[in-house]
Amino acid sequence: MLRKFNYLSPTTEEELLKFLAKHMGKAKLLAGGTNLFVDMRSDLLKPEYVIDIKKVPGVKEIKFLSRVGLSIGPGVTCNELIECKAVEEKYPLLIAAAKELASYQIRNRATVAGNICYASPAADMAPALLILGAKVKIASIAGEDIIPLKDFFKGVKKTLLQPEEFVKALIIPEDYSFMKALYKKSKRVKGHDLSIVSVAMGRIKGFYRIAIGSCGPTPVLLEEIPVTVELKEIISKALKAISPIDDLRGSADYRRNMVEVYIKRIHQELGGKN
Amino acid sequence: MKKIKVKVNGKEYVKDIPEYKTLLDFLREDLFLTGTKRGCGAGECGACTVILNGRAVNSCLVLAVECDGAEIKTIEGEGENGKLSPLQEAFQHHHAVQCGFCTPGMVMSARSLLDRVPHPTEEEIKEAIEGNFCRCTGYKQIVEAIIDASRGGS
Repeated sequence: MLRKFNYLSPTTEEELLKFLAKHMGKAKLLAGGTNLFVDMRSDLLKPEYVIDIKKVPGVKEIKFLSRVGLSIGPGVTCNELIECKAVEEKYPLLIAAAKELASYQIRNRATVAGNICYASPAADMAPALLILGAKVKIASIAGEDIIPLKDFFKGVKKTLLQPEEFVKALIIPEDYSFMKALYKKSKRVKGHDLSIVSVAMGRIKGFYRIAIGSCGPTPVLLEEIPVTVELKEIISKALKAISPIDDLRGSADYRRNMVEVYIKRIHQELGGKN
Repeated sequence: MKKIKVKVNGKEYVKDIPEYKTLLDFLREDLFLTGTKRGCGAGECGACTVILNGRAVNSCLVLAVECDGAEIKTIEGEGENGKLSPLQEAFQHHHAVQCGFCTPGMVMSARSLLDRVPHPTEEEIKEAIEGNFCRCTGYKQIVEAIIDASRGGS
């Protein structure tokens, strides 16, 4: 049984923003609930108000428009992303990452935006979205703002998002159908588990893009690296960018080793030499 | 309290429920459909799996109020007229049940898989039940039962 709270279910964006402004700091947003209810059950979170965003028009929308790019509404679940034709054609990396996220049942509720807003260092969607240059569209009663995802994460489960704001969409401005990219994740069991280490790496227009999860307080995006750079040098740059710790899932040394292994493997699979 | 209207296993219910009640507790305590089991309460074990608007979900992580207007299928709706479904018969035939606690969730995950992929591969079956734990570890028989059910045997 969950602790008592007031359930609010706004049916317009205006109403949602008003609720957020009114109950600032006392409310939590509900999309999929797969993190929220777990934290509420263990008393990590005790919101007075739970604001369900799912009845707000447009939140379930996922669409690709040639000038805007891909826009993922905050109510879009991981399985809805996996089933989206435009994503399959232009952003297969997102599908590979989403399929690694938890179990089938969880993916039917868990949202892509929720995975980002929860800001776990192990968030499976983060490395993929980071190397795809994703942006976060934030709305509040004061207006809207768009910021790069790499600036959104501020620490373990901390983001730039203020109590009166909500994420209106995740946006990938460019068409990446020509990008070759892979996502690799190590976990303790073959079934569903949080990552010990995750690496998304892609090759685009003569550059490598690399993002690493579970190796620091936030997912890490490296500066672009020209494909002419030696593999040894790429690995050294990656190891400098991360700050892994020992925890129940793995040691810092193991994490550093796996980052090296995954970069080597993906580098080879993307046709890299040396 | 909020009033909700739901269709569970084809039958309509209108109930007043507290906002903080999960779908799992609503099914078990208000509708007395105790086939759906409470395991971890955190989306890890899958014992509480039901089919909500055609999608398998962990009912411990869904609020009952979120289900207003929804259609839900639980293990009680799998068989018809007091008879086991071919899928349930396959579980029985293959001894895919030991203590039985995970079984309702396993059957619901398998049902959801067969509804979207009528002839799944073994790998697809394993992926579909990834979110369902069996602590008696009878996974092999469970996979065999689902393969058999997908071929129309029992």
